[in-house]
Amino acid sequence: MAEHYSSFDRSGTKWLLQRVTAAFLVVVLAFHFFLLHFVNHAADVTFAGTSARMSTWTYFSLMVLFLVTATFHGVNGIHNTLVHRDGVDGWKQTAITAVLVVASLVLIVQGLRTALVWTNLF
Amino acid sequence: MSQSYDRGTVEDFGRWRSFTAGMWAWLFHKFTGWVLVGYLFTHIAVLSTALQNPGMYNDTIVGLESLAIVRLLEVGLLAVAVFHILNGVRLLFIDLGKGLEAQEESFYASLVITGAITVASVPTFLSGVF
Repeated sequence: MAEHYSSFDRSGTKWLLQRVTAAFLVVVLAFHFFLLHFVNHAADVTFAGTSARMSTWTYFSLMVLFLVTATFHGVNGIHNTLVHRDGVDGWKQTAITAVLVVASLVLIVQGLRTALVWTNLF
Repeated sequence: MSQSYDRGTVEDFGRWRSFTAGMWAWLFHKFTGWVLVGYLFTHIAVLSTALQNPGMYNDTIVGLESLAIVRLLEVGLLAVAVFHILNGVRLLFIDLGKGLEAQEESFYASLVITGAITVASVPTFLSGVF
């Protein structure tokens, strides 16, 4: 039995970033769920309430960082799952990477556009 | 040092019967990861109704939250998120060289705590919909 098995290349920057974002997301995802389902019930969420939260620098910057790190962590995880398989290389690997990069950028841009509608910080 | 194995494919029917705890943990982490990424894209799409006008955002939230199936799916989402978080912490510790000898026990603990938190959250998620 190997001492360690991981589908990630442990020497890579992406391996480290996946762990750093994981440590951040463990805390922020739990906070997000707790705040919007237990402190404030999801059914009671309104544009005005969201806008009030997003108009503080702390919450706004946390949510933007949440969006970016969750997108990286999730899409990088998918990338590793899809690419680290037998027979997935060359143009297939390039195509998967390209689709995931474009999807990530679309998600982040759309998330930022929505965040800017809520906030009065700018 | 990382090593590669010929692990066969998960899709080989019947192979799950010989899975160890670590293999279930790997499979559950992949599954919950896919669900969470899928939800992330859906979540941003729903929140994007705010780009139209505040009324559409409010109506979308109220409309979705009035559906019992959405509340049940939220309970499922919580279960998925809690397991991914707890198993993720387990993986981070193992990557730091801590807890490999107790990796089976920590997986079972992740499952039990996920189950307990999920059951305890049901009244909160379902309040007012039935």
